[in-house]
Amino acid sequence: MVKDRKIVCRCEDLTEEEIIHAIEEGYDDIESLKRYTGATTGFCQGKGCLMHILRILAQKTGKSVDEIGITTQRPPVNPVPLYILMEGEEE
Amino acid sequence: MKIAIIGSGIVGLSAAYNLANSAEVIVFERRYPLYGSSGRNSGGITPMLGSKELIELAKKSIRIYDSVQGEVNFNFLLRKDGYLKVAKNDADLDELEKEYHLQKSMGVKVREVDPYEIKNMVQGFNPKSVEGGFFGEGGVIFPWPVIWGYEKGCKERGVEIKPMTQVSEVVVEGGEVKGLKANGEFYKADFVVNAAGAWSNEISKLAGVELNNTIIKEEICVLESLKPFIDPYILNVSNGVYLSQSARGEVVGGILGKEVSNPETSSSLDFLIKYAKRAVEMIPSLKGLSVLRQWAGVYDSGKDGLPVIGETNVKGFIQANGLGKYGMTIGPAAGELVAEVILKGKTYDKFSPERF
Ligand SMILES: Cc1cc2nc3c(=O)[nH]c(=O)nc-3n(C[C@H](O)[C@H](O)[C@H](O)COP(=O)(O)OP(=O)(O)OC[C@H]3O[C@@H](n4cnc5c(N)ncnc54)[C@H](O)[C@@H]3O)c2cc1C
Ligand code: FES
Repeated sequence: MVKDRKIVCRCEDLTEEEIIHAIEEGYDDIESLKRYTGATTGFCQGKGCLMHILRILAQKTGKSVDEIGITTQRPPVNPVPLYILMEGEEE
Repeated sequence: MKIAIIGSGIVGLSAAYNLANSAEVIVFERRYPLYGSSGRNSGGITPMLGSKELIELAKKSIRIYDSVQGEVNFNFLLRKDGYLKVAKNDADLDELEKEYHLQKSMGVKVREVDPYEIKNMVQGFNPKSVEGGFFGEGGVIFPWPVIWGYEKGCKERGVEIKPMTQVSEVVVEGGEVKGLKANGEFYKADFVVNAAGAWSNEISKLAGVELNNTIIKEEICVLESLKPFIDPYILNVSNGVYLSQSARGEVVGGILGKEVSNPETSSSLDFLIKYAKRAVEMIPSLKGLSVLRQWAGVYDSGKDGLPVIGETNVKGFIQANGLGKYGMTIGPAAGELVAEVILKGKTYDKFSPERF
């Protein structure tokens, strides 16, 4: 039987069960969970999955989304290719 | 015996790991264990260093990484595909050659490589971008599993790790350490270990001990994933740019840092521009890749470029900091030295806090 796979982070191909498993192993704050699973660090940088991850974390830990907080947003907002950056002026 | 360690980076955790069986150890961490530079670095590991002391610590640390992975049952993703130092001019190449003789004399596997050999080693490398280089033992380790693995090993050995617990006071009476205060609570301790990385100067002040480590801020970024094509970790000693490919295929790279007066981790567009220019000059095919994330870290270095490890003039107050830009390379062995200082009263002249 093919197991029902509920993908929550498409870029990193992570299922809800994998996220829950990591939380159960003790990576139960957003910063650790992000680093341990790779969730929110793919090409879209979490635009597609941060809300799912927060929901699962809130359900599993009983904390509110406010208490969990969101991860530090690392620039750039959208991926920028090196050939564009290369044209910039150095300070 | 009670030991309080401040900071849960590679130094604090490897010290705790080595002390766990002989004492009651608590590690205090202001944020979470990957917050310091141990969670922000590029994982380059090599004994191709410039002084006898650092080479010894690096060789030992690589052996420790190999064995600790098994002891704690955690994969550090240590990939030993070599370390490549390149130089853009003769003066820098001469410096590398001096290091090379020292490294050779200490049994490090390393050899000189010309630009065309480098091109054969790294697909897409532009041989005209460098004068030459040296290739030797080393590679990349993934810093996060290292920290998680040590964390796991520490906990299994009875160490208590306290995240979100900021040390605000080191209690000293009659020239002797009595404990510390964190989150408003007093913790009694026979030894207090200052493993706070870039924040070590501040912690030292709390104990009334002067420590003038240099604080360095370094920026780094990740490009999108590609099928692995860069085997060694590459460092250009002339312009400071370095890059490597992680086990996930992401190209991770940065530029060696600069001295700052206070630990601060903002990131800049200027860094991305400099990095883009220098990385693409070296490997032109990178130019189509996009930057996914950038960040910065801060670390501290002893004034003479060597770590600061040992007891201070306050009895029981131990320095374990100043590992500089090779912290991941020498951290595991540094942690062992800290344990020797505490358990056997050892002193190491070259690392002594009293040497300045
Ligand atoms: C961008 C970058 C790239 C690097 N690349 C490499 C590399 O390729 N190879 C290499 O070998 N090294 C590299 N390094 C250097 C290496 O990362 C550091 O030398 C090493 O991680 C230092 O470890 P540490 O344990 O001393 O400090 P840290 O890992 O910084 O840990 C110190 C901890 O102390 C905590 N702390 C501070 N104040 C307090 C307080 N009052 N109470 C409680 N806790 C406190 C902090 O929150 C922090 O977690 C790099 C560094 C950076 C920034
Ligand atoms: S969906 Fe998770 S990072 Fe893109």
